[in-house]
Amino acid sequence: MDRRSFIKLTAVTGTSAALASCGVPENQLIRFVPDEDIVPGVAVWKPGVCPLCAAGCGLTVRVMDADADVARNGQLGVVRIAAAKKLEGAPNHPVNRGGLCARGQAAIQVTYHPDRITQPLKRAGERGDGRYEAISWDDALADVVSRLDGLEEAGNQRALAFLSRGGASHRAVLIEQFLARFGAPPPAVYELFGDEVLRRANATSFGREQLPTIDLANAMFVLSFGADFLGTWNSPVAQAAAYGVMRQGRPGIRGGFVQVESRMSQTGASADEWVPARPGTEGVLALGLAHVIMAAALRPASAAGRAGALVDGWSDGLRSYTPEQVEKITGVAAARVVRLARQFAEMRPSVAVVAGPPLAHTNGLFTAVAVNALNALVGSIEQPGGVFFTPQVDLAAALKMSGRAAGAPAPPFRLQREGADDPHIGDAQVLLVDGANPVFTAPRVWGVDQALAKVPYIVSFGSFLDEMAVLADLILPDHSFLEAWREAVPESGATVAVASVAPPVMRPLYQTRSTPDVLLEVGRRLRRPLNLPWQTFDQMLAAAFAALPSASPDADAWTDAQAKGAWSGPVPPGLGRAASLPAPPAARPIAFEEPRFDGDAGQFPFHFLPYPSSAFLDGSLAHLPWLQEMPDPLTSAMWSSWVEINPAAAERLGIGQGDVLEIASAHGSIRAAAVLTPGIAPDMVAMPVGQGHRTFTRYASGRGANPVEALAPMTEPATGALAWAATRVRVSRVGPPDGRLVLFAGGMREHVEEHR
Amino acid sequence: MCAAAVAAGAACSWYEPAASSTSIAPVGPALPGQPGGVFTTARPTVGAAVDDFLNRPSEPRQPIEFPHDVHVGKNVACEFCHEGVDKGPAAGLPSVRTCMICHEAIATDRPRIQQITALRDKGLDLAWQRVYGFDNEDSVRFNHAPHIRAKVECATCHGNVAEQTVAQRSVEHTMGFCVNCHNERQAPVECVICHY
Repeated sequence: MDRRSFIKLTAVTGTSAALASCGVPENQLIRFVPDEDIVPGVAVWKPGVCPLCAAGCGLTVRVMDADADVARNGQLGVVRIAAAKKLEGAPNHPVNRGGLCARGQAAIQVTYHPDRITQPLKRAGERGDGRYEAISWDDALADVVSRLDGLEEAGNQRALAFLSRGGASHRAVLIEQFLARFGAPPPAVYELFGDEVLRRANATSFGREQLPTIDLANAMFVLSFGADFLGTWNSPVAQAAAYGVMRQGRPGIRGGFVQVESRMSQTGASADEWVPARPGTEGVLALGLAHVIMAAALRPASAAGRAGALVDGWSDGLRSYTPEQVEKITGVAAARVVRLARQFAEMRPSVAVVAGPPLAHTNGLFTAVAVNALNALVGSIEQPGGVFFTPQVDLAAALKMSGRAAGAPAPPFRLQREGADDPHIGDAQVLLVDGANPVFTAPRVWGVDQALAKVPYIVSFGSFLDEMAVLADLILPDHSFLEAWREAVPESGATVAVASVAPPVMRPLYQTRSTPDVLLEVGRRLRRPLNLPWQTFDQMLAAAFAALPSASPDADAWTDAQAKGAWSGPVPPGLGRAASLPAPPAARPIAFEEPRFDGDAGQFPFHFLPYPSSAFLDGSLAHLPWLQEMPDPLTSAMWSSWVEINPAAAERLGIGQGDVLEIASAHGSIRAAAVLTPGIAPDMVAMPVGQGHRTFTRYASGRGANPVEALAPMTEPATGALAWAATRVRVSRVGPPDGRLVLFAGGMREHVEEHR
Repeated sequence: MCAAAVAAGAACSWYEPAASSTSIAPVGPALPGQPGGVFTTARPTVGAAVDDFLNRPSEPRQPIEFPHDVHVGKNVACEFCHEGVDKGPAAGLPSVRTCMICHEAIATDRPRIQQITALRDKGLDLAWQRVYGFDNEDSVRFNHAPHIRAKVECATCHGNVAEQTVAQRSVEHTMGFCVNCHNERQAPVECVICHY
């Protein structure tokens, strides 16, 4: 017997008997008549818009013939359709320029997910137990309409609440118009890693209530305060491409990069120098640098203008932020402060970036304003190699609608209503939910689920049964992003205004409906119709894009944008969002306040840092198995949760790699496996957010632990944003490694080699 | 364990480690209207995979006994039904809609035609099975269109279908078969012409 036959025999023996009965399943399938003519085997590429984060990257989608499981007229079967098969970055898109991150690559799994909700569902069991029965679209919409008519008859329109994720988009404008015309408060917006503090700081310092676009490509020196701009923050694809140019794209020139943070992020791992500062004191370091720059007369104090004038003691040269004083507060050596300051002032153009953990403290606004002042001092605002603000189209104005005052700060997320017209969810009679999942991403101690339990009627537009959708009384599943008109209005990532848009790439697989179209239909069917001027969402988009100037001489803006997947160009007069907000009223200047932490330092000796995971961001992507399978760039962990702890601290507590730890705050405790890493301060433990879903499809349910559950209800006072890095915890070892930590290829080679 | 799962008719999960947390149980009941299953594997069943591994193609069983001889005899061109043949890699199998282009009016009294008309009226299609073709694992790709452009007769590779009712696999598509013809016609025989 030769080797080949042997392998064949061993492969077959033992299993063939069990398999013989499987049969040919094709014969049992119902096949539907295909909806369209396609040339088998020939791929076409169509534009798309990535739905997974607010960056709004453009896609190019490969579409080919395929047999797909679909639902038609209530029957499941197989049909040969033109199916989306692969996503890539759109080469000409002004934000991502052909790039696409790993998360975007995995977005294709949203459409074909086996646990996708395929039709309207009505709750059949207790709230939260996940038992649903089928309902027709007609009955489902009639149900919603009768509830809303009920509110209207009772004159209680304010009891309609809408919960969504933030970000500017035409979809958000439609939601705002729907609510305003019905008489309900504006939508409540909840985003765990929402950057409200940075937006508010930019409004205060520069009059721009938005995230910055960093011109990394032209910078010579980048000083980042906690911003994970290569991994999870803002527009990572645009930033990573520009970062590549800064480091390697200019012959003979390599830009310098220093990262200040107390837990090494994916971005920090790329830096020339990693500077750990005590949590919540990063702003002091920024002002320390500004002090040195002004004291050495490298730049005059007046160069910082309004951004500097906001800071207490700026005009006197920040005398209370001497390098020695800064060392005492931040733990960064005085000599290092002086050296960094000289580098920052002399390696021009230089730029400072701040985001993430430094702003997730009770003094986050101070930190952001301090870094803004440092940027202004060296003249890096709206200059090559500095900070830009992407011009924004006022979407409501383009549709000739009245919207929220342009550039006005978004109201904070609140469970209970304060002012009569404040957004809320807790006092609602009817709650509509689009995308947000605060049950998972808000601290348990806020009591989101208790507040939702009091809402009599919850409607979810979700495609998956997550912790929020499972509380819904009615689920009206949205199309996947490849099956419907999609759009996004990127807040940053380009120096010109951008609006991404794409027509449906493929026909819907199931009996789902596009949520904007559902809202428009509900608006028409109400007893007192809302008179929204569009029949369908694409009509609304056509109207909005018609107001923009065309980027091509051959086609109008709408046709051109559909073909390319994006519109970009100068904002026509009258359609721009306010270029500059007025300076805030002369309040007292902003000064350093000690960050406040929840938990006594004696009882809870560690700072606790939950951070957005590279794979799942805030956990909304944990249902995609490709992302579960993706090794974390720093620890190589996958399919699991882990706690990062400094080896010195671990030794003191007798903790080894993979040991099961209990992390307890005053508000809750979680268990996860230990990962020993030198890239974290000895008085800190960090944990990625994203796992620990109670229910979120077969891939994420019951896997790992959710660090947000243990967070304290600390907030940044000016914005009301959750200060998610302001909780202290104690750490205890509860057991040896038990297999819950899965590392790629069995472990970190460096670690094994070092400790041999 | 997997063999048991297959025998029980359940899908096998090969890669994911078991859920790690003990305290939280996933919410269980299936939702109405979900097709279920896992992400598509290369083979519908392990049995099909074994057959494939042993190079043991199953005899195609067509949903209706389609008479190629009658259609070719009436001078219906091959590409009328296999319309992708001069456009791309796959010739394609016609949907019932293609049949109805003619049979809306022609031979409507025959039982087989009434059968497919009824299918069409229900919105259903014919589940044709492939007779020829390569699998991904064969690491070879074939593109019909350039062969049509080079005026290779359909019969060269598919036999004389004018003499067949239901299409039979009358020519074995081995590598030698391809290379011989390429040599005769001085078509390229570099590996990457087909293996890419």
